[in-house]
Amino acid sequence: MAGMYRLSAPFGAWIDRGKPVAFTFEGKHIEGFEGDTIASALLANGQTMISRSFKYHRPRSALTMAGQDSNTLVQVGDEPNCLADKRRIEPGLKIEGQNYVGSFEDDKGRFTELVERFLPVGFYYKSFHEKKSSWTAWEPIIRRMAGLGKADLEADFHHSYYDKQYLFADVAVIGGGPAGMAAALSAAEGGAEVVLVDEGAEIGGSLWYARFNVDGTHGSLTRAELESAIEAKRNIHVLNEAVCTGLFADNWLPVIKGNRLHKLRAKSVVVATGSIEQPAVFRNNDLPGVMFASAAQRLVRLYGVRPGSRAIILAANDDGYGAALEMLDAGISVAAIVDLRRAVPANEMTQAVRRAGIDVIAGHAIKEALAGPGKMRITGAVAAPIAGDGKLGDGGRSLDCDLILMAVGYSPAAHLLHHAGTKFAYDEASHMYRPETLPPHVFAAGSVNQAYALDAALADGKRAGWLAARDAGHAGGAEPAAPVDLGCEGVTHPWPIFPHEKGMDFVDFDEDLKYKDLINGIADGYDNVELLKRYSTVGMGPSQGKHSAVAAVRIVARETGESLHRMSVTTQRPPYTPEKFGHMAGRVFEPERRTAMHHRHLELGAQMMPAGLWWRPAFYGSKSERDKTIREEVQAVRTCVGLIDVSTLGGLDVRGPDAAEFLNRMYTFAYAKQQVGRCRYVLMTDNAGVITDDGVAVRFHDEHFYVTATTSGVDAVYRQMLWWNAQWRLDVDVANVTAAYAGVNIAGPKSREIMKRVCSGVDLSAAAFPYMGAAIAEVAGIPARIMRVGFVGELGYEVHVPASQGEALWDALMAAGGLEGIRPFGVEAQRVLRLEKGHIIVSQDTDGLTSVWEADMAWAVAKSKPFFVGGRSAEIQARKPLTRKLVGFTLANDSDPCPEECHLVLKGEEIVGRVTSAVRSPSLNKVVGLAYVHPSDGEPGKLFDIKIDGGRRIKGVVTKYPFYDPDNKRQEM
Amino acid sequence: MASLTNLDPATLKRRSFIYRKLAAAGAEFAELNGGAVAMRYPARAESEAVTARRMGLADLSVLPHGGFKGRGTVEWLTAQGLAIGADSNKAYAQSGGELAARLAPTEIFLLDSLQGTGHLIGKLNATWQWSPSGPRPQQGYPMPRQDSHAWFMATGEKSAEMFSKICGVDLRPRHCPVGTIAQTSVAKMNAIVIRADLGGTLAYHLLADIASAEYLWTCMEDAVAEYDGRIVGLAALRSLQS
Repeated sequence: MAGMYRLSAPFGAWIDRGKPVAFTFEGKHIEGFEGDTIASALLANGQTMISRSFKYHRPRSALTMAGQDSNTLVQVGDEPNCLADKRRIEPGLKIEGQNYVGSFEDDKGRFTELVERFLPVGFYYKSFHEKKSSWTAWEPIIRRMAGLGKADLEADFHHSYYDKQYLFADVAVIGGGPAGMAAALSAAEGGAEVVLVDEGAEIGGSLWYARFNVDGTHGSLTRAELESAIEAKRNIHVLNEAVCTGLFADNWLPVIKGNRLHKLRAKSVVVATGSIEQPAVFRNNDLPGVMFASAAQRLVRLYGVRPGSRAIILAANDDGYGAALEMLDAGISVAAIVDLRRAVPANEMTQAVRRAGIDVIAGHAIKEALAGPGKMRITGAVAAPIAGDGKLGDGGRSLDCDLILMAVGYSPAAHLLHHAGTKFAYDEASHMYRPETLPPHVFAAGSVNQAYALDAALADGKRAGWLAARDAGHAGGAEPAAPVDLGCEGVTHPWPIFPHEKGMDFVDFDEDLKYKDLINGIADGYDNVELLKRYSTVGMGPSQGKHSAVAAVRIVARETGESLHRMSVTTQRPPYTPEKFGHMAGRVFEPERRTAMHHRHLELGAQMMPAGLWWRPAFYGSKSERDKTIREEVQAVRTCVGLIDVSTLGGLDVRGPDAAEFLNRMYTFAYAKQQVGRCRYVLMTDNAGVITDDGVAVRFHDEHFYVTATTSGVDAVYRQMLWWNAQWRLDVDVANVTAAYAGVNIAGPKSREIMKRVCSGVDLSAAAFPYMGAAIAEVAGIPARIMRVGFVGELGYEVHVPASQGEALWDALMAAGGLEGIRPFGVEAQRVLRLEKGHIIVSQDTDGLTSVWEADMAWAVAKSKPFFVGGRSAEIQARKPLTRKLVGFTLANDSDPCPEECHLVLKGEEIVGRVTSAVRSPSLNKVVGLAYVHPSDGEPGKLFDIKIDGGRRIKGVVTKYPFYDPDNKRQEM
Repeated sequence: MASLTNLDPATLKRRSFIYRKLAAAGAEFAELNGGAVAMRYPARAESEAVTARRMGLADLSVLPHGGFKGRGTVEWLTAQGLAIGADSNKAYAQSGGELAARLAPTEIFLLDSLQGTGHLIGKLNATWQWSPSGPRPQQGYPMPRQDSHAWFMATGEKSAEMFSKICGVDLRPRHCPVGTIAQTSVAKMNAIVIRADLGGTLAYHLLADIASAEYLWTCMEDAVAEYDGRIVGLAALRSLQS
């Protein structure tokens, strides 16, 4: 038997008695049934204490059985702060209590209660505002207390599988209680596509457990009727065990179900989230055994758990009487109903209670709950006559009980309406806030909209569903009538707050805030509810004020003399319930790009490095031999032949009669007279004259340029081209074909020999195919765009082929170069090779301010043409003195360490520039680099200071570049 | 088409960017359009057509696909005999089973039929020529779509629901009629989704950056797993058409 407090059927509608489930709690073996929550299974086994409170470590147990509070937070395996009254049990779960010192049962932290007067409201402000030094002593204590559960920092962390899914609906109905079900049906009947979201294991809400008539049949019959009607509707998608945590602009609704975040977008929304039962404030109102009447009814009806053996009902409405009948049905004796009302209305429910022989003590409240050793469970209560709002008179009765059920009123579960910007007004008749002005496309139904009587909730749901469907472009027929009598009066008591001189009369269970804490906070000057919230932390715990916000407003109103009409509950922000980071992160989508040869690089032992979204080979070999490998790769290119994958370079096809004119405007150089079959350098500046990209323009036809761009810059270049062409309206088409072409650079003195073996349709001789020449031909039978460019400063060819044939090209060239010992080389070697030639890398050797003049690239500016983007700025810059200049440098003392990128260049004590690139050149066996220096130090031979690691200064010597092969003979051979 | 053998995709010049994954999944390849296409997965217990009707995923990247873009594109293609409607974001079926997907007023993405003969695309590419000097007709420009875009296909009754895990556009059949194009984000990537049912089976073409093919394929495999989805071969897709 899974629990000595287990009731037999028909109680326990949501559990499957045929499927026992075993788990442990604090090391104890516990058995429940499939369908049980952790809390219901624990209570079924007599484990009443489920958690320890935040500040005073007081025993806590189930309060709502609806996941609305923090009293049931437990640690499940390595997951802290799980709601035990929502989380279903699974075989083998290892569950622990939280927030205790020593053992869960014998928590040394409970002695905090003895020093509670030293922990006043506003503790942080008072303790640390002026005495900041005391933080040092308090910090470790506060950090230990904070967070409740424990994240296991030693654990082998892994990402659990969370993901996201989009959902679409004409009408989203949030809340599957009677109003929500009626709304969904009404909207669906109008032809709308409906998504119905509900937190429960099955839709029905209070129809599953609440007592709507004396014999308790009305709810279940209504539910069955609505349920079958919904099942018959193909245009209603029910999402149960799901919680909608927010209502955002354009009806964007995050809905969490299990490990999935649904991103629901609806044309219109019906909020039918019901209402949240509110606690009474009295001494020890937080201890195990004190719970909402609805929580006890859920335990009995949904999980078949007897929450106690002898109950007292603290009532202020008829629902308490229904709960009393429910307890009797479950075999729980009801010692008395303590009714806050002086006059108990005579109706079917109250009469039935009286007929059952239950003692009704009208005009009384519970003064305090009595507790046994360790406060593990209440043992009785003291009822006292009400002498006025919040005041109790002399006399009263002590009553034995192990269960106190609170049924003193409700507050609308209006969080989603708050998120949407709904205005609320206090309703004097019902003593509740009600939605006053709803935003467009949002509707409210049921008790969140003050429709408390079942028939009213159904009618209100039907009306709201019809309106929502119409708002979404559906619905026909006449608008359903709004309910006449909402039944909202007489369900909520205006002042269920009875402070006790000994305290422990909790207003906020999350934060252990007592009545006096709020009074003291107001006395400290925080007499506005929003200020009091932040000062006292009322409503700032995990339940976000679901049970404390209204009480706090009432208390502030009372203390300040302010009218409740002029106040509102504190702002309720998303999320409605706690969300996990996993839900927000979801299934992680991190796109990456791989070239056609990617796997060939891996097979060759490449160490890959990211370049934007791309992966590129850094070098080929083990990490431990990085420097040696890079040197060898450089040597291979300089002395023999190397092959590098350059597929990531940007590629743009610029085609049309105005293609040359377009490039003339986009780049600094001139292209009108560029011959077909020739390449020309391109340098792009922005409107401010700042260098933004570079590459090569290859003219394959009078009307066709193939323009390369940097790997990281091509998308921006493409955007710029589209944007400018939209202005200029030239007859030109621009296409970003980066991914469509795989590319390699075969470079080195032996590259021509290898290319000759695999090329057809082109004469590769130096005369026929000179440096900066280009051709369309075939390489290894693959159509190719071939360009003789010299980024690395050797004879070489860039070969661009259709991407799907890139791997075949790589294979062919590696095979063809086998005789010569062709060697693949990576990005690191390429960086060395280009630096030896003094070629800049845009965005490494330039920054967000670099002009063509600073970069010493006046040679790349065509002065004869009337316009290019940034040209006007360049003209202005040219008339102003430079403030820095990019120069090549070597070291005055080559035994000094090689500077690193961004090491400072100083002139005296003034920072005048920085090193942008530096390397010990394998080819020249000395340090070479590029740096910004003061213009007065820009001439070759000038010395300048470089501040390297450790603050040491070394001397750089301005040196003309290219450092290697200054006459460019090798690349032009 | 070559007969089905243990064809190694690496022996052909045109290679799908995910051929290794297909081979690892047990694909049997056949030569098509100069590359190797996964025709079937012989080790499967379940018929691939049954899988495809539920939730199938196929790689068609080596099948012929191409396109044209720029002023005069639609007029020129129409003059070549293609039937292209006036609406953008619609795919227009051609007489040979090809699709002309109108991405924009001046941009057409062409997908061959599942037979992969490439007749239409080959003919268009061969016909298009740079104009001789003189007055120049507006005829658009060919686009290297064969190599810029990987081409996947998701099929089966669960495919729309599967897409809702990786794409924010409502692709459910009622809201996305046959021929509808969504130029959108799939698994955080730019992508083109085209509804193109096979026989009575719900199906979508998915076209995206070829360089991210492995990434996207992995995302798709993950997404279809929830629906007991599997990789299927071209043969299964063809069988759905008949």
